[in-house]
Amino acid sequence: MRISFVVPTRNSARTLDACLASLRTQTHPDVEVLVVDNGSTDATTEIAGRHADQVLQWGPERSAQRNHGTDRSTGDVVVFIDSDMVLEPHIATQIHDRFTARPEVGALIIPERSFGDGFLARCRQLEKHLYVGDAAVESPRAFRREIIEKLGGWDEELTAAEDWDLADRTREVTAVGRVTAWIWHDEGRIKLRATFAKKRYYGRWIDQYVRMHADSSGSKFARTALLRKPGSLLRHPMLTAGLATLKLTEAAGLVMGIRDSRAAASASAGAR
Amino acid sequence: MRILVLNWRDLAHPEAGGAEVYTEQVLRRWAAAGHEVTLFAAAVAGRPAAEIVDGYRVVRAGSRFTVYREARRWWDRYGRGRFDVVVDETNTVPFHAHEWVGDGARTIALVHQTCEEIWHINAPPLAAHLGRYVLEPNWLRRLAGAPILAVSASTRDALARFGAADVTVVPEGYEPPVDLPRVAKEPTPTAVFCGRMVSYKRPREVIRAVQLARREVPGLRLWMIGGGPMLDRLRREAPEGVEFLGRVPEEVKHDRMARAHVHLATSVREGWGLVVTEAAAMGTSTIAYDVPGLRDSTRAAGGVVVPPQPEALARWLVELLPGLTTAAPAPLPYGGAHSWDDVATTLLAAVDQHARVPDGVRAATPATDRSIRENQLRGADA
Repeated sequence: MRISFVVPTRNSARTLDACLASLRTQTHPDVEVLVVDNGSTDATTEIAGRHADQVLQWGPERSAQRNHGTDRSTGDVVVFIDSDMVLEPHIATQIHDRFTARPEVGALIIPERSFGDGFLARCRQLEKHLYVGDAAVESPRAFRREIIEKLGGWDEELTAAEDWDLADRTREVTAVGRVTAWIWHDEGRIKLRATFAKKRYYGRWIDQYVRMHADSSGSKFARTALLRKPGSLLRHPMLTAGLATLKLTEAAGLVMGIRDSRAAASASAGAR
Repeated sequence: MRILVLNWRDLAHPEAGGAEVYTEQVLRRWAAAGHEVTLFAAAVAGRPAAEIVDGYRVVRAGSRFTVYREARRWWDRYGRGRFDVVVDETNTVPFHAHEWVGDGARTIALVHQTCEEIWHINAPPLAAHLGRYVLEPNWLRRLAGAPILAVSASTRDALARFGAADVTVVPEGYEPPVDLPRVAKEPTPTAVFCGRMVSYKRPREVIRAVQLARREVPGLRLWMIGGGPMLDRLRREAPEGVEFLGRVPEEVKHDRMARAHVHLATSVREGWGLVVTEAAAMGTSTIAYDVPGLRDSTRAAGGVVVPPQPEALARWLVELLPGLTTAAPAPLPYGGAHSWDDVATTLLAAVDQHARVPDGVRAATPATDRSIRENQLRGADA
């Protein structure tokens, strides 16, 4: 079973080498790596060229990049990896084993841990730890080719929340399983100002996602997993306080982004 | 060629480390090849201000902090006009030779590693912040306009962040022991750590990773080789399965390295990480933190780098150990480094090719009168 890893990139030089090296050192013998870049101006394509089977250029954003990667890949399974992720060596083998053992399963979740520099990165580590096993947050990353093709791939209208959208559509057509090996997500050094700006930018698409999935979107935002394991939070009061600050900053960014989106929509409706 | 190398320590300095081994190996080969080589370094108690070592001249003056000023003074009094090229070997603080050489001699910097995160480990908090965010960036930005040689791609990338554009990577050197230990791997899964027990090598994180991995590999053992200020405390706290050997003779170190199944390295950063090269020469693969220097040496030696977290190291250890215990890798004689003969030749070629007369400096007529030069040398010896 050939496993194709599709990695969308844009100015990803800081993390890409570790990501692609971890794909290249998978213990499974038949692995294909495709990098779909979108006009990087740093060393991204040079790094990609050292590791990938194909380095493609495509846009305008990551959903379109992933769909293009799927079209150009040749594997029986397509796995979507972000450029700031590092995979443990047995993930491809476990994907092969799970899909072979359970024909009814069409997609697999790969659980995530995070790492990075500084206090806020440790807060994020705690947060990610609490999400493990939460169906409202975890999204499948590995798809049988026929399933991802049947779904029509990623929704190119969405630049944020596109993983929730695909997860929702996947669960409607197939069973979703999981592997036990981990993805390690490089958070780098988290800064509150940058976090706010990013969430504000994403807020626009979150608004669109909410309108598209009015019936199921509530649980995505409630993040009840954060409260389901109070022991973990109580054991780390400093990290919990930092995490609360981080989540409030993100929430403020999202609210501002949604407000921006609605203001733009009403302005364009008024203009018409 | 007449070559002056500026390095704050020479091999006789009590704190001499890997950079000084590199310097010594290269300089004696340059001298043997007929070049006129001088090394300027800080004074060492009990050693003369100038002496000939392995065919090259060592001139010593100044302390850790004043050696930079003394180098410039010595240059003005005795060095000017006597050298074709000046190599500014940077160990955190550059000599900035390109700013004061000014007689038409060419200059080039040689950087083993930048300090960055290590400031926080080697200095108290306020000084560490000052060093990391003010002093070192200022020093490196001043150096950025000069041609630079770096011992690894990681160091080149780090220098690029401070604006350096003309950086050439030269290889790290290693000499495999004459008698490689001929021993079988241990019957039980065994990891080895080899390095000084100091904070920036993060020995605690190796112990933590092995403890986590023991949940899935119950018999896993860890040998901790090396002395250092943390040794006694770590030894007192040693959990089950961890054995501290302290500082041991080279042959004992090589024997243990060869018998282990995997070598673990967790430094905050390295220039290259020669211990990884050494383990590969003993036929032992490394799993190392993905940090500058270690990522260069580990990949060159066919090892694996992992996110810099003990939990990640434990996960990779558990996944990779079965393969390492059943099929030990063959020894890699130079483990991704080069022989010192290669390094000396490549470095000299790189110096000759990339060193240049600093911008804005007018070429002066070098002193060619041999008697004047001899007098100047005597002055240096006085």
